[in-house]
Amino acid sequence: MNQTARRPSPSGAAMIGLFLAYMLIPIAATYLFSVATKWDATILPEGFTTEWYVTAFNHAYFASSLTNSFIVSLSAVLIGLLLVVPTTYWVHARLTGAKPLLELLMILPFGIPTVVLALALIRVYSFPPLGRSPFLLIGAMIVFSMPFMYRPVSNSLAAINVRILTEAAYNLGASTFQVLGRVIAPNIMPGILSGSLLVFATVFAEFTLANLITGAGFKTFPVLLVEFTRRDGRVAAALAVISFTIAWIASLAILGIARRGKTTHETVRAR
Amino acid sequence: MGLFALKSRQRFAPWLGLVPFLAFCLAFEIIPIIVLVRGSISDSDGVLTFANYQRVSAPLYVRSLWNSIQLSAITASLGTLLGLFIGYAIFNWPSERFRESLIALSDVTTNFAGAPLAFAFIVILGSNGVITLLFERQLGLELYPAFSIYSYSGLVLAYVYFQLPLMVLLIIPAFAGLRREWRESALNLGASTRQYWRRIGMPLLLPSLLSGFILLFANAFGAYATAYTLAGSRLSLVTLQIGFSVTGEVRHEPGVGDALAVVSLITMGMCVLAYQLLNLRMRSEMR
Amino acid sequence: MAYLELQTLDKMFGTLPAVRNLSLAIEKGEFVSLLGPSGCGKTTTLRMIAGFESPDSGQIILDGQDITQLAPNKRGTGMVFQAYALFPNMSVYDNVAFGLDVTGRPKAEIDARVREMLALVRLEQTDKRRPHELSGGQQQRIALARALAIRPRVLLLDEPLSALDAVVRVALRSEIRRIQSELNITTVYVTHDQEEALSISDRVVVMREGVIEQMGTPEEIYRTPQTRFVAAFIGTANQLEATVDGAGTARFHQTILRLPSAPPVGSKIALLVRPESLAVHTTMPADNGRNLLEGVVQTMTFLGAITRIEVLVQGERVLADVSAEERVHLAHKQQVWLSFAPDACQVMQVQS
Ligand SMILES: Nc1ncnc2c1ncn2[C@@H]1O[C@H](COP(=O)(O)OP(=O)(O)O)[C@@H](O)[C@H]1O
Ligand SMILES: [Mg+2]
Repeated sequence: MNQTARRPSPSGAAMIGLFLAYMLIPIAATYLFSVATKWDATILPEGFTTEWYVTAFNHAYFASSLTNSFIVSLSAVLIGLLLVVPTTYWVHARLTGAKPLLELLMILPFGIPTVVLALALIRVYSFPPLGRSPFLLIGAMIVFSMPFMYRPVSNSLAAINVRILTEAAYNLGASTFQVLGRVIAPNIMPGILSGSLLVFATVFAEFTLANLITGAGFKTFPVLLVEFTRRDGRVAAALAVISFTIAWIASLAILGIARRGKTTHETVRAR
Repeated sequence: MGLFALKSRQRFAPWLGLVPFLAFCLAFEIIPIIVLVRGSISDSDGVLTFANYQRVSAPLYVRSLWNSIQLSAITASLGTLLGLFIGYAIFNWPSERFRESLIALSDVTTNFAGAPLAFAFIVILGSNGVITLLFERQLGLELYPAFSIYSYSGLVLAYVYFQLPLMVLLIIPAFAGLRREWRESALNLGASTRQYWRRIGMPLLLPSLLSGFILLFANAFGAYATAYTLAGSRLSLVTLQIGFSVTGEVRHEPGVGDALAVVSLITMGMCVLAYQLLNLRMRSEMR
Repeated sequence: MAYLELQTLDKMFGTLPAVRNLSLAIEKGEFVSLLGPSGCGKTTTLRMIAGFESPDSGQIILDGQDITQLAPNKRGTGMVFQAYALFPNMSVYDNVAFGLDVTGRPKAEIDARVREMLALVRLEQTDKRRPHELSGGQQQRIALARALAIRPRVLLLDEPLSALDAVVRVALRSEIRRIQSELNITTVYVTHDQEEALSISDRVVVMREGVIEQMGTPEEIYRTPQTRFVAAFIGTANQLEATVDGAGTARFHQTILRLPSAPPVGSKIALLVRPESLAVHTTMPADNGRNLLEGVVQTMTFLGAITRIEVLVQGERVLADVSAEERVHLAHKQQVWLSFAPDACQVMQVQS
């Protein structure tokens, strides 16, 4: 009842302790495992080594799969930006009647299991140059990730009342370019940045589409990782750690942006 | 002239701005889905048939569907229930800094779903996993074969890993939506804390719990990477079966993959639709 | 002993003192308002009575019983919040019935009481509706009915009208007073609106920074404010800063003013004069014992029945109220004389 000097309840603390254990142990263990020499009956590893990382780096597909993943992720971010940001701005500024349609199109990907998306795309685009190509993969990744770009951008556009700002800027004599560059863009930049990072992180980690659409033909990092989980657990651990680290960095950057820009960080996502 | 000058001249001109985006959606989303659905109800000559759906009624596929539904329901229930209590514990934590860190952690971990996470569970609980061996050698406790990370029980554990933080993220705003005035009014009118939760708190959380459950169900139903990494072909789930029909790892009768895909598309689509409708209703009801 | 007694209450939030050494005795059936600017500790005081905050020190005695440590759901206080306090998942009927229901009263009694309460607030027809289907004013009336349904020993209202628009606010405040009188229920009413407090209360308690600044009937508070803060907060008042320069006279810039009393010579005072006590003259009036100020009209604000004019007197702004016919003779930048009887003003010491 009393708001002052509240202390955590013992049951609450216990629950949060268990939650932290559940969330952190698998990840912490993987980090340790990736640098452990022998670790099979003790709380902590018996010794440390970088051997598994060296093996991973020297693997024939390591560099190429990492490059492939970066190509796919960056393309998805770039094309996603070009496709989603102007469309979202347009709908907010000029075509508010189309907002329900846009919302629907942005929810649709959540309702399509990634395996189904992969299957459907393969069925339609079975001919070159698209069939099973990186281009088709990038297209699929954009469909899958565009809600992550749309949400933050749409939220930051909604937060500034584009119409009134635009009219005010025109009223003060600004040109269309000045309106976009000096009024709208700075205001939605945090949204664009979080959206881009979110798309990058999710696309980078996406295994299903890559495995089913390009598979061995254009190996991405998660595909290589899964391969190794069946071949060499030590090397797989090193690869998993690299994945986790990229995900952490992207997530922390998004949180940093959210905190600084005070954008409302809405969390609705399905996978 | 400015963007707005067009308006009076042509009513439909603004829609031109949507063309690139709509074209993309059409090409990579809508047409493929339509083709898939049409393909699932026609034979190789394009004649309408429901043979594919009849084939889906074979025990193998029915079992995969049932397994998927069961796994989704169990992990969504566990996620909802645990998420409710952990979400409340987080919401009530006095230190704002720690509270924000826990929410941030949930945000990150719910996105960790997939291959690396599945592998992390193999690291700790695989047949030679760190915890498995620790239990065996230090406590003399044999986890296997009663538990296996590569089987159903393991999948539940790995799925709840990303279900739980998602529920936490969904339920904390619902707790924040419970106004202090409601609780205080209830107490002021002589109710006990229990009575408050039973008569006011819980009924008001219920729509959020329900919509959260549906979202979690869909989340699990569509998941593939985690199951593929952990179970591979050892366990039959509908997404795994569809995947096999693409990669050809397991021979299927032709067309079955398409029919299964449509069935799971409908299942998940309905979940997402129900989620949206529930949320819309909640927003309009809560003033 | 009074019916409700607050004895030397103290409440800190961290290092911030929200309420300091507050003592207040309220008689049975009395309607007392806590009035003060936002953040002065009114809500905290009310919440201590309801049991949602516990005082760091001091006692709360209700009807001879020390309730300082009693749980909020055992106190029998009925509280009405600023807004949004109706349970959104229940109908109006269930809201009003709630307090009786959770304490296990028989159905028939509950039903009779709910009907009675809905009739009391004149909303019999709304029983099946949901809170969000009611207007803001209706919601507050239902909240009042709900609080009264449990036959509370004290009724507590925390700015119940401040979320409503002006017309509803005025109508509902007389409604609250009517119901309070009808039930003769002891009431503590929190508001930051001085007009509301003056119009509705038997007694007004003016608070500032957690401390009671002055208490008294609305008339006393308005006519004889004891501090410059109260004078400034209640109504509109000119405060002329002057220096006492003789027996019962003070110098305000170049002008000598007669005082109703004789403070020590040389002391600094503030002379409080309400705008309605000032007469406005277009020619210099003869000296008839009234104080006289000379100045130039700066602005005129039409307020309906009166017009408030702002006159620049020796570099200071002085407000005076004139009637419609007086207004006709005035113009912007016109020279005017303001006169007031020494008895119409009040002397307050200025601590240097
Ligand atoms: N729960 C709380 N925690 C910290 N400070 C509070 C709390 N409640 C009130 N305060 C502070 O105590 C002071 C008095 O608040 P309050 O009683 O709400 O004032 P009023 O109702 O007169 O506006 C304010 O400075 C306010 O910020
Ligand atoms: Mg207040």
